[in-house]
Amino acid sequence: MSADSPLVLIVDDEPRILSALRRSLRREPYEVITVESFREAYHVLESQPVTLLLSDYKMPGMTGLHFLAEVARRHPAVVRLLITGWMESIPQQEIDPVGVWAVIDKPWDDAELKDTLRGALKAGPPVPA
Amino acid sequence: MSGSSEHAAVARVLLASPGTQGGIPDCGRALQGHGLALSLEVVRDAPACARALAAGDSQLLVLDAGCASDEAGEMLGLAQEAGLAVVVAALGSGPLELAYWGSQPVAACASTGAELAAAVRDLLDSGGAAEIPGSVLPSTAILRGLNVALLAIDAAGRISHCNEPAARILGTRAEALQGLPLASCLGSPVPEAHPVAQSLSRGDSFEGYETTLLRADGRNIAVGLSCAPIPGPGGDRAGVVAVFNELREARRMRGDVLQREKMASIGQLAAGVAHEINNPMGFIHANLAQTAEYASELRQIWSRVEALQKVALAGDPVQSRVAAQELAAAAEEVDVSFVLGDLAKAIRESQEGSERIRHIVQDLRDFSHPDSSEREAADVNQCLDSTANIVWPMMKHLVVLQKNYADLPPVPAYPMQIKQVLMNLLVNAYQAIEQRVGRSGEMGTIEVETRVAPEGVEIRVSDDGVGISEEHLQRIFDPFFTTKRVGSGMGLGLSTSFKIVERHGGTLSVESEENVGTTMRLFLPTGPAAPG
Ligand SMILES: Nc1ncnc2c1ncn2[C@@H]1O[C@H](COP(=O)(O)OP(=O)(O)OP(=O)(O)O)[C@@H](O)[C@H]1O
Ligand SMILES: [Mg+2]
Repeated sequence: MSADSPLVLIVDDEPRILSALRRSLRREPYEVITVESFREAYHVLESQPVTLLLSDYKMPGMTGLHFLAEVARRHPAVVRLLITGWMESIPQQEIDPVGVWAVIDKPWDDAELKDTLRGALKAGPPVPA
Repeated sequence: MSGSSEHAAVARVLLASPGTQGGIPDCGRALQGHGLALSLEVVRDAPACARALAAGDSQLLVLDAGCASDEAGEMLGLAQEAGLAVVVAALGSGPLELAYWGSQPVAACASTGAELAAAVRDLLDSGGAAEIPGSVLPSTAILRGLNVALLAIDAAGRISHCNEPAARILGTRAEALQGLPLASCLGSPVPEAHPVAQSLSRGDSFEGYETTLLRADGRNIAVGLSCAPIPGPGGDRAGVVAVFNELREARRMRGDVLQREKMASIGQLAAGVAHEINNPMGFIHANLAQTAEYASELRQIWSRVEALQKVALAGDPVQSRVAAQELAAAAEEVDVSFVLGDLAKAIRESQEGSERIRHIVQDLRDFSHPDSSEREAADVNQCLDSTANIVWPMMKHLVVLQKNYADLPPVPAYPMQIKQVLMNLLVNAYQAIEQRVGRSGEMGTIEVETRVAPEGVEIRVSDDGVGISEEHLQRIFDPFFTTKRVGSGMGLGLSTSFKIVERHGGTLSVESEENVGTTMRLFLPTGPAAPG
């Protein structure tokens, strides 16, 4: 991966999910870093030029939405996406103010996921409402 | 009927209603609006009612159910002393079935203006205004329409009224029973201990009594029955009113409740399981897609291998060298050694995921067949762990779970039922925390503690959720009591749990403070438990 290729950071507390996501995105034109906690995610955000952040919703200690809201404050240039599971429907009015580019369903469709991420990278960070 | 000649003599009706100061209350307007020619005297409290009755020219008392209950009781007493029939008006309350208010007989009830007018008209027409309630019962439209079986028996022990539902249960027509002796529905000789007989002879009241009645075809039928004496004007008994329902029906309804209880916990379970299944499904699905891609990449490599094999076997060193170079380039392109390694890994991880799902399904199956016939020596700590595993994924974003287990002796129990109780407690604790913190980003704590208690084990589930107000605290074990919004709680968790714990000879108790939190304490005896 070239030095100026985008950097995608993925947070999920389930290592098997991270491993599967890395597999799915293996040949995509960006570098993928995965971490299992928000703490590690903050660390990466502070030390590396992350372009896009994909966070799981149900995480121990905090929802992915709160985390993304915090990231929006601290690192507004990072494009933010959420991944959620079955029966975790989140009201749109809670998602809107956080400026989430897209919500991806778990289980995800590989092709769709890749399209969404590429689209998000191209569009850049959304302006929070 | 307004102004018709039959009502030339205007009836005098006393209306007791808290009403609005000065104006004519709603039920008064309802009476006037339905064209009854009557002179209405409105009183607002018991002293005024007493004065009006002393004047002695009222024929009927209409009692607004909006009156304070002590006032209402007093006025009913006054009306009874004066020998006045009472119509209770609870407009807008929905269908009402009331033969008594407190211990006072009531001639009719009305929940709409039209019903009220009809009841008043009936009573006035039958001259019932001055009669005792026992004899006015049959004439009221309300009783005819009542969907609960009702029998009225007069002081002489004859059936003075039987409504349709009662006749249906007794296997006959209402008119056929009219005037027959009590023996025709209690059997001959009349069993002295029968609640209806006792009501008649001794003035006792019974509520929800399981007994039998004799049907027209000679069969006994099990009924749940409530009955009470009808006081007569001079303080003696004018008869007895009994309401009852068929126990078969009651049993069927109980069956429905059991089914709903089961559904309630299955609903909770489904939510928990859904979260558990999301993750393995997610990565198995993705891994399979990737596995297919790896397979096609490896097929490309294999075609190069075949090409190389062909030229090598033909003994063409130049062609062989070219084919080998192409193979190497393709292998590098595909990153074969990575693909082979990762393929094995993807398969292994997916196997692990499907194993997880299999476990979940197993747990679910256990939950839906909770009734093994024998108790086993259950490890309560293990029950707690496996239940917590099921519900944890649904709450992990809001909850810190602290476990404090002691070494416990085994408890004779149906483990699945105990797990159901624990799940109810954990889900309640989580929901209480969810209600308190909302989506503020704050976290709550659930503490699960076990310890050895005298002759048993004790499990405490504590949360720092919303807590329970003092007035609700009495009611949380009642079936269908819930403070949760429709769809999220049926109010069956704790009543079900209570029954299960009782079956185990244990106890379930609560301590709670509003805005501080709640502790549910569950005790299970280690000794031979109560029968069940
Ligand atoms: N840990 C708790 N904290 C605060 N309130 C509680 C707690 N546990 C029970 N309650 C109160 O008791 C009520 C009855 O609880 P119960 O478990 O029987 O029914 P539910 O939770 O409302 O519905 P269901 O269990 O059928 O989904 C609840 O609605 C709630 O008001
Ligand atoms: Mg509950």
